[in-house]
Amino acid sequence: MIRQQARGKTRRVGTVALVGALALLTGVARAEEPPKLAFVVGKVLVMDKADTVINNAVVLVSGGRIEKVGKASDVAIPQGYRRIDMPRHWIVPGFVDCHNHTAGSLSDLNDMVYLTNPGLDTLNTVQPESDDMWMARAGGVTTVLLIPGSGTNISGFGTISKTAGQSVSDVVVRSPGSIKVAQAGNPERYWWGVGRMFMNFNTRQTLEKAQAYHEAWEKFERGEATEKPAFDPIFDGFRGLFRKEFVASVHTQIYQVVMTTVDMLARKMDLRTVLDHSEFDGWKVAPLIREALAAGRSIYTIQGPRAYHLDGTQRKIHGNAARWWQAGNPLLGINTDAPVVAQEQLPFQAAMGCYYGWVPYEGIKGLTRIPAEALLLDDQIGTIEAGKQAEFGVWTGDPLDTRSACEMTVIGGRIVYDANVRRRW
Amino acid sequence: MRRTGAWRAAMAVIALAAVSVEASPPTKIALTGGRIVPVVGPEIEKGTILIEHGKITAVGASVELPFDAMEVDVSGKVLFPGLVNAHDWQGLDIPNENLDIGAALDVYDAIDPSRLFFENSLRDGVTTVHIIQANNCVIGGISRVVRPIGLDVDEMTVKPRAAVKISASPKGGYDRMAQWAILREAFAELADYRERLAEQRYEEEQKKLKKDVDVGPAEARKRGAELIRPQDYDDAHANLHELSQGRLDAWVYVGAATDVGPAVKFAKENGFFERVVFVLGPDTFKAVDELKVAGRPVVLDVNLDFRERDPLTGKLSETFVPKVIADAGLTFAMLPHPDASLAERYLTYQAARCIREGVARETALAAITINPAKMLGLGDALGSLEIGKAGNVVVYGGDPLDFNTWVEQVYIDGILAYDRAKDVRIRRLLEEPGAEEKPKEPAGDSAASDPAHQGDKPEAGSGASDPAKPENKEESKPDSPAPPPPSPEPGDDDASVERASDRADRAESRRRKDNAKSKGGPDA
Repeated sequence: MIRQQARGKTRRVGTVALVGALALLTGVARAEEPPKLAFVVGKVLVMDKADTVINNAVVLVSGGRIEKVGKASDVAIPQGYRRIDMPRHWIVPGFVDCHNHTAGSLSDLNDMVYLTNPGLDTLNTVQPESDDMWMARAGGVTTVLLIPGSGTNISGFGTISKTAGQSVSDVVVRSPGSIKVAQAGNPERYWWGVGRMFMNFNTRQTLEKAQAYHEAWEKFERGEATEKPAFDPIFDGFRGLFRKEFVASVHTQIYQVVMTTVDMLARKMDLRTVLDHSEFDGWKVAPLIREALAAGRSIYTIQGPRAYHLDGTQRKIHGNAARWWQAGNPLLGINTDAPVVAQEQLPFQAAMGCYYGWVPYEGIKGLTRIPAEALLLDDQIGTIEAGKQAEFGVWTGDPLDTRSACEMTVIGGRIVYDANVRRRW
Repeated sequence: MRRTGAWRAAMAVIALAAVSVEASPPTKIALTGGRIVPVVGPEIEKGTILIEHGKITAVGASVELPFDAMEVDVSGKVLFPGLVNAHDWQGLDIPNENLDIGAALDVYDAIDPSRLFFENSLRDGVTTVHIIQANNCVIGGISRVVRPIGLDVDEMTVKPRAAVKISASPKGGYDRMAQWAILREAFAELADYRERLAEQRYEEEQKKLKKDVDVGPAEARKRGAELIRPQDYDDAHANLHELSQGRLDAWVYVGAATDVGPAVKFAKENGFFERVVFVLGPDTFKAVDELKVAGRPVVLDVNLDFRERDPLTGKLSETFVPKVIADAGLTFAMLPHPDASLAERYLTYQAARCIREGVARETALAAITINPAKMLGLGDALGSLEIGKAGNVVVYGGDPLDFNTWVEQVYIDGILAYDRAKDVRIRRLLEEPGAEEKPKEPAGDSAASDPAHQGDKPEAGSGASDPAKPENKEESKPDSPAPPPPSPEPGDDDASVERASDRADRAESRRRKDNAKSKGGPDA
């Protein structure tokens, strides 16, 4: 498995040691080269910006990457490739779940010491090769963002992780992969109870402290300050956030709360913002998001796990994803909040979104390219294009059709799930 | 998470906001032919208000209209300044934070534009709301003046940082000694912080000049006092510092008569007496002499009459508070009751009661318009229909204080923010189910054969109340009741819903067009 270090990231000594030790223990098994594979399939959903679909296609995989994609008539299969004939199957990019808690140990979900806990990191909870992860990849889910719970307003760093791999170093793609912010709607229960006036003040103040720390170091590194700032283990991890190397993944829902997230994190602090949940009447914030996107801000909406909102006043059911989409929010994806909805049910979440009025093709996009972009992984995964990592599912049909099953999953060029060997569905 | 009725009711106010703000209103509007009650200045029996770019540019019996002004005929209506709600927490998620000294907090972080409260404010003719922490606090935080329209708080804002909320009466769980001890400590700590800051600043400056700190701490603090810059204050102290310098207003809750004296003294000692507004409790009026000496404006409790029983004689006495305050010559504002099911919810009802109790009409009207505007430092900007003020105009169907009068339209900064004709909730509450569906129905007697509906709503939809079909009543036989009303489908006839999704719909149709143009993928 390829381990990407976040660009220019400084890491804490302890975690490096931990990962290093684990890598040493289990690194031997990964020594062999990924195999050379030739998939002959009925359809490839490339999921690129041109919305390319290739029928009767061949996908060549070598060295862990996609070597070539094209029509079967155009792509010759070279010598030495294992030919996998699945002429009625679809290849779909591996699904990316931006809101997952099951890639780590659930007993370490929330460490509610303070109302904001910027020093904590889910990297210390990653559990490779759990049953949940096996289920995830059996469902075509290949990459997840493991984040801490929403018990406090800032609950720690998220970890982007593959759903297959023997060790922590095998599965971790990027750490930190995000900072988890819970804008409101859970942290209220902290202590004797807090309101949004205090929570938002406190969240903003924590982020501003981190920003000030980052700027002091930037100034020093640019040679504009002579005095070296003091190292702060709590805020040092935030530097990547302000360099836009990872995102703020935000537990946010309900109009005022989503509005605050857009205003505080995206508009004013100019952080790469991923709105998770985005339920209830949150979709009405779409005009503000459109304005912010037009002003160059980065906001992805990764909706879920609630597929619909029952509006008692109007006596209407609103499909959450559908409403976001109709309101003109183009960067829309889907999450499971596993274990709230099981991690392998990610495509089913998108199907539910479509059941309540979303657009099926957009639903698949919201499982692949959009979340990959949201997590800044789009140079590596999210589409079936030459040069990208070989990370996809081979499906019996449209993945949003509940009757379809993932028959084979490839991560890092290796077959990590094969229904012929051990069938899940 | 909380899922109150307000959440579920959130739709329409966003709708109102969306439609009013994005619909780019005409830049010049003339409301002509109505009776104008400007609150400040004489009434005009039949006149015109011209609003240009959100501000009133002309008021009078005859106003020459610019060629490009949109004329709205309001003959027979009464034009009144938008009402000002002087003190309300209801736009927030909770009334008070669980924190004694919340000086760093700002209602900005908790105002929810989707609250039903804002929609109701519009419906009641309120164009300006002072959102401020409730009284259960020591130092509650910073308040904000907003208009009840806008998609986010910035769009709603009329005046940020309007005042600091302080309570001179004990917060829940405290007695007066504890309350005052905490208040005193907050300002004593501020003084101490300032001293330490001065010393620190002096040392910093000396270091910058590459000089030694060659004086003792007392002298350093003295020298450093002028070196403190505004940005040196941290969040916890910045607002209290501003307050102590008389650069910020304070709204001080004095929940009982006994709290007035200490509150006045405390405000004077800490430098903000000239900027204080007293928010009174039910019996605080008993300290009217002290309040009169203080001469600061007051906000009355929502319950205007104070009842008490003599413990010895059992005799019940009742005091109408505004009368006492008005007779004392104090500037006062009245509040709407937070319980929307009470008549006291309407500021106009509160004013009308004043007149019954002998308060002058102009005093009563001022207490719901210009007085709260002045208290908020917005006396030049709103609260009356005068040239140069915001185009906040309520179009009433009759005299504002007549309780049969409806708010017909509300203009905020020249934007038509509320129109009763399009108010779906009012329609749903007041009209018979399906009444507006009637004209689509076939003739009344076609469905009359259904015996199951004998006696059901005999007047529903047909008869004299329906001018569209005056002949119905004569034609229908005495034993033929009207057809059953169609089952209500509020979702379908819900104009507010339509307005809510207005933007969304437009965006969707744009999107569809774009998709049709650009996308050649499997979904095209």
